[in-house]
Amino acid sequence: MENTRHTSSFRDPSGFVFTEDNLLKRIIFPIYFKQYNALNDSGFFNKLFHNQLLVPHQELKKSATEIHIQPEQIPFISYPYEWSFNQYKEAALLTLKIQKYSLEHGFSLKDASAFNVTFHNGQALFIDTLSFDFYNENEPWRAYKQFITHFLAPLLLAHYHGAQSLKMMTNFIDGIPINMLTSMLPFKTKLNPFLYSNIHLLAKFEDKHNEDYEGTANPKKLSKKAQLNIITSLYDYIKKLNIKEYSEWGNYYEKTNYAQDAFNYKADLINSWVHKLNTKTLIDVGGNDGTFVRRITHKLDTAIVCDIDNNAVDFNYTTLKINKEKHIIPLVLDVLNPSAGLGFNNTERDSFLNRIQQFSPDVTLALALIHHITLSGNVTFNMSANFFASFSKHLIIEFPNREDSWVQRLLNTKGEFKAHFDFYSEENFEEAYSKIFTIVEKVSIPNAKRTMYFLKLK
Amino acid sequence: MYFLYFDPSVGAMIVQAIVATVAGVILFSKNLMYKIKTFFGLHKHQDDLYEDINVDDSDVDKK
Repeated sequence: MENTRHTSSFRDPSGFVFTEDNLLKRIIFPIYFKQYNALNDSGFFNKLFHNQLLVPHQELKKSATEIHIQPEQIPFISYPYEWSFNQYKEAALLTLKIQKYSLEHGFSLKDASAFNVTFHNGQALFIDTLSFDFYNENEPWRAYKQFITHFLAPLLLAHYHGAQSLKMMTNFIDGIPINMLTSMLPFKTKLNPFLYSNIHLLAKFEDKHNEDYEGTANPKKLSKKAQLNIITSLYDYIKKLNIKEYSEWGNYYEKTNYAQDAFNYKADLINSWVHKLNTKTLIDVGGNDGTFVRRITHKLDTAIVCDIDNNAVDFNYTTLKINKEKHIIPLVLDVLNPSAGLGFNNTERDSFLNRIQQFSPDVTLALALIHHITLSGNVTFNMSANFFASFSKHLIIEFPNREDSWVQRLLNTKGEFKAHFDFYSEENFEEAYSKIFTIVEKVSIPNAKRTMYFLKLK
Repeated sequence: MYFLYFDPSVGAMIVQAIVATVAGVILFSKNLMYKIKTFFGLHKHQDDLYEDINVDDSDVDKK
């Protein structure tokens, strides 16, 4: 079992996650039995499941030395640095909501890592079943600082400096260092009592006590009422937090060179191909706000919709919340730099490519993307063909011809190197992709200088 | 007993007493403003994407 232990599961001695028969399971050790039994017997686990706060699990076996549980299998685990602003916000609110609910039932979260949350069935979901511990009367929240560095810090930086700040979590997987955070926040945050106490004062107290190697400083007592005040005020503040940004893609479909009939033609074509394959899972790489995935009438189990632009992903996410769509997972992804493997051994947080290969979607959509990869990213057709072939068997790809205005614009920015991109043509594209894929269908979109390809891995 | 596999930081434990006091004042004044606004009929109901912090237990009991 130790061999199949999940590489991210080593920090908590209460148990670990492992894979058996392709299923993710969790082993629990006697050190956590008391908590586990109390959570079960009091019905608190069931309450959390019922309110869709915690991933539901079933107990598989129970002995004196270990308990095995099997959580509901989540098709794709996304990480904090792949979330848009509003997704991040929801994950923070979920964590606070769970902490308040736990306190009211005699429990407390022993950690508040952003990696304890992922997105499933159109909402944020807590996935670390062993994060719950007993609440000891009048004890402050042990995970308070972790909550600040994992949630409030990135959200504040995004608020003041833009959504790209959320990507900082790729470097700081244990949370944004509090001293760095204070230096990056504008002076006016010191005048705000909420921010002053939660950030600047916290940093001061950290500095003051970090030389305390013997642990002699006696942590003050904190009543439950006082802790609930902290939790509630954090919730109120984060709920109202927003970003002031507009997107270059935000109104993309309004200013694009697509006539409405061409747009519909393309959507119908994708729909018919997806239908033909009886697709259950797909990924739209560069899917903007999910417009094309929403035009698919075929019933999908899971559709991952990625885009580089936070605003598009955010718009996608708020749309799915309003429509109560459960199958879409919007994610922020730069195709030219997908999330790498991180943490200890570079395996604690799996790379995006490993996860997407495991997910192995039936179909990949790459619409209006290849000209950006090729002309902005200088990625050759051979390289992008290999990239797409690495994670899915079918590819629906749109090729904007040289005459397309976007392509022209991208080519013109190349200046004197423009000639270097003479290879950008339909013939060369087909030649490179035909080495790995079979062209099942090829359709030119009327009234648009673009061609749609339906490709199958050889 | 807690299993400390990360550092909660002594400073962060101590500072919570002050943070909670500030939070208490903020929440108290917000509640007061809310009541005043409601009294004068100034309170606007906002359509929120996010629910409030409380979990509705009545649903669970009905089950």
